Parts: sequence; C-alpha cells; structure tokens
Amino acid sequence: MAQDLKTIPDEALVARAQEEDERAFGELIQRYETKVYSLALKMLRNPEDAEDVLQDTFLRAYRGLKSFKGHSTFSTWIYRITANSALMKLRKKQLPTVSIDDADERETPINIADWAPGPVEQLLNQETQEAMADAIEALPAEFRQVFVLRDVEGLSNADVAEILDLSVAAVKSRLHRARLKIRNHLAHFFNDTRGRRTMGARS
Amino acid sequence: MMSCKDVLDSISLYLDEELKQEIKSEIERHIGKCSDCRAEFDTFHMTLKLYRHSDTPQMPAGCHDRLVKVIELEKMRAKRGGAEPDTTEV
Repeated sequence: MAQDLKTIPDEALVARAQEEDERAFGELIQRYETKVYSLALKMLRNPEDAEDVLQDTFLRAYRGLKSFKGHSTFSTWIYRITANSALMKLRKKQLPTVSIDDADERETPINIADWAPGPVEQLLNQETQEAMADAIEALPAEFRQVFVLRDVEGLSNADVAEILDLSVAAVKSRLHRARLKIRNHLAHFFNDTRGRRTMGARS
Repeated sequence: MMSCKDVLDSISLYLDEELKQEIKSEIERHIGKCSDCRAEFDTFHMTLKLYRHSDTPQMPAGCHDRLVKVIELEKMRAKRGGAEPDTTEV
C-alpha cells in the first residue's frame, strides 16, 4: 500500500491528505522536504535556520491543507510557503541585506578578466562554492528569492512569478539584476584568487 | 547596430532563449568583435553554469525525524481541538 503512494500524483495525494489519510501527508513530506530544505538553506545559509523554515513550512502546509483549493499546484504552493517563511526569517534576524533600491547592478567590476574559459568542474571547488554562497548572501532579499528559485532550483520564470506573486516581467527584471550582481561578486573573487596565486608564484 | 549596453542588458534573455533569432545573431556578431562584451557574456554564462552544477544540499541527520515529530505533535494538538488558526494563504 505504501508502494502505491509513491506512484500517485501530487493532486491525488493532497486529496487523500485532505481526507485525513495521514500516510498521504507523510508521502508529500518525503517528496518535498529536500527541495524545501535546499531552498531555505540557499536563501539563509545557516542549517539551523533552514531546518526551522522546513518545519515551519510543513506545519503551515498541514494547517492550511483543508483550505488548499488547488488553484496552484502543490509544488508551487509549498515553494511559496517556503520562500515567504525564509523571507520572514531574514527580516526577523535583521540580517544586513541591501535594500532593493540601493542595489545598483551597474556597478561595473574593476576588471572583468575573462575567467570563464574551461570546464565548469575546474572552477567548482570548495572555495568557489563558499564565494557563490557569499554572493547570494550579499543580494537584497527580494533578489535572493528570485535568483535562488530560478537559477539554483531551476524553476521557470512563470513558476517563480506564481510562487512570489510577481509578474513574469518583474521576475525577469529582478533576475537580470541579481545575476549581474552575482557575476560581479564572482568576478572580484576570481580576480582576487588569481592575484593571490600570482603573488604566491612570485614569492 | 547594437551598443555594448544593449548587449549587456540582453544577456539574460539571450541565455534564457527568449530572443528572436535576428537579435541573437546580432549579439553573436557583436561579441565576436568586442572582447569586453565577450568577457561579459562568458563570465555571465559561467556564473549560471556554476550555480546549476552546484550540489543539492542533503538534510542533516535527524532532520527528517524531527520534522515528522513536529507534524505528529500538531496532529495530536489538532485532535484535542487546540489547533493553531490557519493563516496560510491558499
């Protein structure tokens, strides 16, 4: 019977969970907990905060299940709760985020040396992953949501728009500005890394 | 003729394949000749590839069990009639 739950679509599982089939909600947790945790961690960086958001998200989903009408998919709904919960957490902690109005993405990096040639695997080491997390952390919260959903979690512009209750045009605009800021952050990182290596080679 | 600023403003749309072929071709012609825009384009593209290749984080040990426990407690609370009000937007 448990095997059956694995093969049925989300909508049917939600319907069963609404009829208080407790195993059905358990299966929804199994399907989405890693995605929810991942989104929360990418937005907040701190594993304890991400776990708080994970628990808060599924608690809200459980409490709201009866009134979930299926106007959006369960996936969109759970992502929306996660993104909002993570945003509240960011605001509550009063983490030093830049306001969206101050986020002038046209701050041209000092020097965009072309660090891109070569395979992605060559660049993707631990130090780079730290810099990538730093870059997300430096984004204003509203940009961070869009960037993580779209470019880290790989959702479509339309899905991100629905999750965040924005127009697709607004998603595209925020996304482009977020990407520029992220790229500029990484450009500084790679310039610095190369500078250190060059200095090391000389000494 | 496309300016460097036009190219920079269009990189996201280009990479998301949301531009008409004629605009794409114009961008390709521009970055074929302009090394600054080539670097802008390549580093922008590589940035997205890095994030798309990064690992999905695994949940820490015990995280799933703690979540299940939280939901179990909520079920018990609901059965006793003490459920929290539903404030979730649907």
